[in-house]
Amino acid sequence: MNKETAKNVAVYIGQRVSLTAIALVVLSFMTFTLGQLVPGDAAVVAAGPNAGNERIAELRVEMGLDLPIHKQYGIYLSKLSRGDLGKSWFTHQPIWEDIKDRLPASAELVFLAMLLNVLISIPLGVLAATRFDSKIDGAIRLMVMAGAGIPIFWLGLILQHYVAGEAGWFPIAGRISFEYRDFSGSTGFLLIDTALQGEWQIFWDVLNHLFLPAITLATLFIAVVTRTTRSTVLRTLQEDYVTLARSKGISEYQVVVRHALRNALIPTITIFGMQIGWMLSTTILVEEIFSRPGIGKYAVKAITQSDIHGVVGVVLVMGVIFLITNLIVDIVHLFLNPRHRESVQGQ
Amino acid sequence: MKFLRYMGSPLEIAAVGFAALMVLLAIIGPLIAPHDPYEVDFFNRFLPPSTEYFFGTDATGRDVFSRVLYGARLTLASALVVIVIVALIGIIIGVVSALSGGLVDDVLMRFTDIWLAFPPLVLAMGFAAAFGAGINAAILALIITWWPGYARLTRALIVETKDKDFIVAAKAMGIGKIRTIIFHLIPNSLDVLFVQLTLDVAAVILVISGLSFIGVGAQIPLAEWGAMIADGRSAMSRAWWVVFFPGLAILLTAVSFNLVGDILRRELDPALRRREF
Repeated sequence: MNKETAKNVAVYIGQRVSLTAIALVVLSFMTFTLGQLVPGDAAVVAAGPNAGNERIAELRVEMGLDLPIHKQYGIYLSKLSRGDLGKSWFTHQPIWEDIKDRLPASAELVFLAMLLNVLISIPLGVLAATRFDSKIDGAIRLMVMAGAGIPIFWLGLILQHYVAGEAGWFPIAGRISFEYRDFSGSTGFLLIDTALQGEWQIFWDVLNHLFLPAITLATLFIAVVTRTTRSTVLRTLQEDYVTLARSKGISEYQVVVRHALRNALIPTITIFGMQIGWMLSTTILVEEIFSRPGIGKYAVKAITQSDIHGVVGVVLVMGVIFLITNLIVDIVHLFLNPRHRESVQGQ
Repeated sequence: MKFLRYMGSPLEIAAVGFAALMVLLAIIGPLIAPHDPYEVDFFNRFLPPSTEYFFGTDATGRDVFSRVLYGARLTLASALVVIVIVALIGIIIGVVSALSGGLVDDVLMRFTDIWLAFPPLVLAMGFAAAFGAGINAAILALIITWWPGYARLTRALIVETKDKDFIVAAKAMGIGKIRTIIFHLIPNSLDVLFVQLTLDVAAVILVISGLSFIGVGAQIPLAEWGAMIADGRSAMSRAWWVVFFPGLAILLTAVSFNLVGDILRRELDPALRRREF
């Protein structure tokens, strides 16, 4: 990296970091506003049905509802910084504790969905590109189209009913079988905990519970990545260095894997990174179907209980994770891709 | 399997046909529906598909076929409302940004970038829940979350077009600024925007039905595809058809609009005309 590029990269990273910081502030302002939109008087709701006017007035002061709106936002921010997202109306727990307990289940689901995504979409994309315009290419194109247009909650219901229910190949719902319900570990990630304790039977059980939700969650993402991998591999196969490699008499397999694929994968890796946040947010459509105790299911439960603060808590946490992962992915991309690095312009 | 080799055209014809059929059904569907989609008939619960009830009946004896037909109107109309409004907002912001340049441009585009940085599904869920859950809440929530893409796209298109010869010529002929924008600048960017609009019909249908499925969009007795799936899911082992047909409707509509978008892109965008995908 020469001096000029290094400076541009530094400026670019600075801009990306500050944009993310501003976005975080905007996000907090949005979630604050969402909380304010609840119909009715928050103090009346909090006081309960039998409270007198005095108690309500007391609560109004206690909750800061008598303060001007910018002061209320200030209080909200300082609460956020202490990890206080309010209390859930249906679990009667602090919302942050609820979400923290459920994050590992969602993270596990996203991890496995991403693994399936990588294992399925890259080979499919390469296959379609190397067999350009063949029957295989056509069939893969058809799958991509279906994957991009399928409502995944519907796919989830159908897989659950037929593959798990009628065929009995996978468990219908939950995170772990009933007989292992007492299993617990230090990390909260069942895959890691079971592996650490050498409980491979439970590990297998957990993996089985994960499979259908993960494939449901991954479908749309597999369609996207297969499509991009196909077109980037097609493009790299036309590059001069690939022609050179071919003219040296290297086998076609070597040309594709060592030369074309390696270079085609850089944009694909970036897409995988960006998809982490997307997948996490898409868990709201999947987890509830398979009764997986993650934050997506928590959000849906909060909706059915009209617990707006629970919903807003999930919006905030998912939003923060989305912003931060994308920032990291962007910066990593700079270091992975020299061409992108050269093209970055500081302002 | 030979047809796969030539799939390009017959499949595309089918997609265009199906998308057109869906638009037609959205307009005349309620007129040709054999039953009232909300008529409860407890003597005819969970009837399997038959010549009387093409897609069977649901838990309260309502005709699923008629409900899918009504759903076509509700779903497509909602998607259309979202997309038209979102495109208008995006076009206005994009045009203002591209033509003013300087500080206004910077501020508007930073704002757009920030908005683009949020996960749309989650944001739409939050807004729809806060607005009190319902099909109108979901539409409003989607409008709030979906505009930034159009602002970015329009700005890029206008910046690209605004120094072209025909615009300079229009200016030289003394045509007013607003006239130039409306009659010369925007129409020449419309082709690309139109491709995006078509592709977004599919995306918006998927998100709206998803929001209804989790309970912040259309509420249950309403004949909306996502809500119908949510309504039928608990009785799937007894009556698969209640869940199956609305989902199939979403799938086919989304796929065909995506394909139509691809065709438009290929035909309208000269850079992509060599058939790449």
